[in-house]
Amino acid sequence: MKRRQGWLFFIIFLLTLSVYLLINYPLQLGLDLKGGSQLTLQIIKEEGKVTRDELEAVNSVIDKRVNNLGVSESNLQTLGGDQLILELPGEQNPLVASRVLGKTALLEFRTQKEGTSTDLKTLQLKRLSIKELIEQYSFAEKNQNDDNFLKVIQDDLKDIEQEFNYSSTSNDLYGKLIEIKKYVNKEITNLFIKTDLSGKDLINAGRRQEQTNSNWEVLLTFSNSGGEKFAEITKSIAGTNQLLAIILDGESISEASVGNQFASTGITGGSATISGNFSAENARELEVQLKGGSLPLPIEIVETNTIGALLGSKNILKSLYAAISGLIFVGIFMIFNYRILGFVSVLSLVLYGFFNLALYSLIPVTLTLPGISGLILSIGMAVDANILIFERIREELYDGNTLTRSIDSGFQRANSSIVDGHITTLLSCLVLFLLGTNFVKGFAATLGIGVLISLFTSLNCSKTILRFFITYQSLRQKNLYLPKNNFSN
Amino acid sequence: MKYNLELINNKRKIISFSTFLILLSLLGILYSTFNTSYKKPINLGMDFLGGNELRIERICEEECSNFSPDSVLGNLKEISKNKKVLNNIKLQFQNNNKLISIRTPYLSIEESNNLISNLDNIVGPLNYESKDSRLIGPKLGKRLLTNCVTSLLVSLFAISLYITIRFDKKYALFALLALFHDLLIVFGIFSWLGIILSVEVNSLFAVSLLTIAGYSVNDTVVIFDRIRENLKSKREGYNETIQLSVNESFRRTTFTSITTLIPLLSIILFGSYSLFWFSLALSLGIIVGSYSSILLAPSLLLKD
Repeated sequence: MKRRQGWLFFIIFLLTLSVYLLINYPLQLGLDLKGGSQLTLQIIKEEGKVTRDELEAVNSVIDKRVNNLGVSESNLQTLGGDQLILELPGEQNPLVASRVLGKTALLEFRTQKEGTSTDLKTLQLKRLSIKELIEQYSFAEKNQNDDNFLKVIQDDLKDIEQEFNYSSTSNDLYGKLIEIKKYVNKEITNLFIKTDLSGKDLINAGRRQEQTNSNWEVLLTFSNSGGEKFAEITKSIAGTNQLLAIILDGESISEASVGNQFASTGITGGSATISGNFSAENARELEVQLKGGSLPLPIEIVETNTIGALLGSKNILKSLYAAISGLIFVGIFMIFNYRILGFVSVLSLVLYGFFNLALYSLIPVTLTLPGISGLILSIGMAVDANILIFERIREELYDGNTLTRSIDSGFQRANSSIVDGHITTLLSCLVLFLLGTNFVKGFAATLGIGVLISLFTSLNCSKTILRFFITYQSLRQKNLYLPKNNFSN
Repeated sequence: MKYNLELINNKRKIISFSTFLILLSLLGILYSTFNTSYKKPINLGMDFLGGNELRIERICEEECSNFSPDSVLGNLKEISKNKKVLNNIKLQFQNNNKLISIRTPYLSIEESNNLISNLDNIVGPLNYESKDSRLIGPKLGKRLLTNCVTSLLVSLFAISLYITIRFDKKYALFALLALFHDLLIVFGIFSWLGIILSVEVNSLFAVSLLTIAGYSVNDTVVIFDRIRENLKSKREGYNETIQLSVNESFRRTTFTSITTLIPLLSIILFGSYSLFWFSLALSLGIIVGSYSSILLAPSLLLKD
């Protein structure tokens, strides 16, 4: 008897601890409950698996970029070896994040091959006319669709495509224009030779508005060795007709000549500017990318989920209704069928609820909709063990055993099938947790935790509560444990 | 005891009934594979194929005005610069025209945002706080599908292994037979739902199958445990003992099913729409699972 009393105090202690935990460490809600966006980034590697180092490297670059973007309370985590998950809570638009994160941002400095001046001039002119077409297109978009005007742009584009013998894959005009611009930029890149100066030699990046017009330029600050390399490179082409190109992800974004006055020392001072007709937005995005460094492997955004805040709070409310009504009806069912025993199982269910939630805030488990459904489902399963035990107790009572004896052997004899049965559910949860996606993991975690805790509450807690009850004489009548009509037959 | 299920004389009927259900499921799966537009054993949703799903509410005073989906699509075509977005688009109004739900093939975030702002111009104003948007790339979809299939296979293997170690061969075989019976029937029901109501399955469906697997075996194990225990004491003949054990466990099995079904029913009635089919699949699995644990698996154990 003393041992049981010890358990009772232990359970009361656990309950107090749970309440304390829940008050001081509120539950973490997933995006489907609080609103926000979630991006899944897939690391692309042509051959072989992504190694742990590569994953770490990509993670740290993305992390820097996200921080530089100034997204508040964002959360970045790796998933399954080659994916990253970025969560942006609230009403933050995932569009900017997706543009900044998706680019490799590999910055290179190249010098022009000799004897390519004419080729470069032609390409630069083509690029200029494409840029004009893009501007015209945006203008046409803003001022209603003038079909004739668009037709002209389309024809001009066709001419350019034919000149390059290039066929675009995009379906719409804008996509085609962007595609051909990329193509020309890459062609320009081919006219330049690699140097050993790259984005790795940067220590900082910034942006400012150009003095002469409204365009923006991006400022680069080199490390010491980077500054030396830059001086060396500029010295080698100063005064010649070779240009220096700044190349981002294989596309030349700016080509500049180095004046004769730098022929002896090169451009020193360890800094440079890129002025490629940037808008304020583009300049900021490039700045963030360069500050974070280039990605060691390209990534692709493979999934985006956005949930409005209002919908999130509605989801919480709905889940709450479902959980509470489920609990109440299960409680009614149990008390109706098992009287006092049913009441005991309701008490253990309440304990079960508190322990579960407390553990969620302790581990912590982020609650999502599937997670909540796992929790609600586990309510039903938690009662299962109680039902097994209570059925045994009833049988023992029918056989004419005393109450105390029946309770003892009921708990004892039901033990093995309870543990057996729960193991198969736990196996399923384990597999789901190990192999499942983020979404599925939530369900597996709450169901698994639920099944484990239910072993404790339905075996130990209900036994303790029951033992406590029968210390009262008035609660020791057999008919409180069995419906009367059943007892008589 | 109160319950008196007749298993011994009904063995044939029970087995025929199960065979009938299995054949019906197989028929659904075959029909779905060869005679539908999607040519798959089950109607895969965008979780597995990739795509864009958007639900957003309109802000209306009192009642929301009526729009025909076709006219909205026509308007969209007129003002969209990117016509690609509108290929294969499906648009629906629900909840008295208040809720718009849209399905398209995979879009980039930018394309999706443009689509929403164009929509805002036509049927707006829209309540962005109520937005629910999912964009899944085709690559991820494929990956999710393999992921789900592997999860299912691995967990079925683990459960089979556990059961084989825990019970003797005969029990293990029949418990697993009952398990595959349950899974096949739930799968078949969703094949038919896909054919008739174009219900799609997503990754949560795979989760429900896995949960059903765990649950179904749990149910059967409890009854087999009882049979084993009673056979040891050998009070009556073999077949009679099995029948007695089933009747002894009958209350427990139905009660457990009921207490598990109650919360699921609450989710179906009160829960978020995204959990509707998931809860339904689980409920069906639990009903079929209880049937197979109480009637089918023990019947298979009976000697002729």
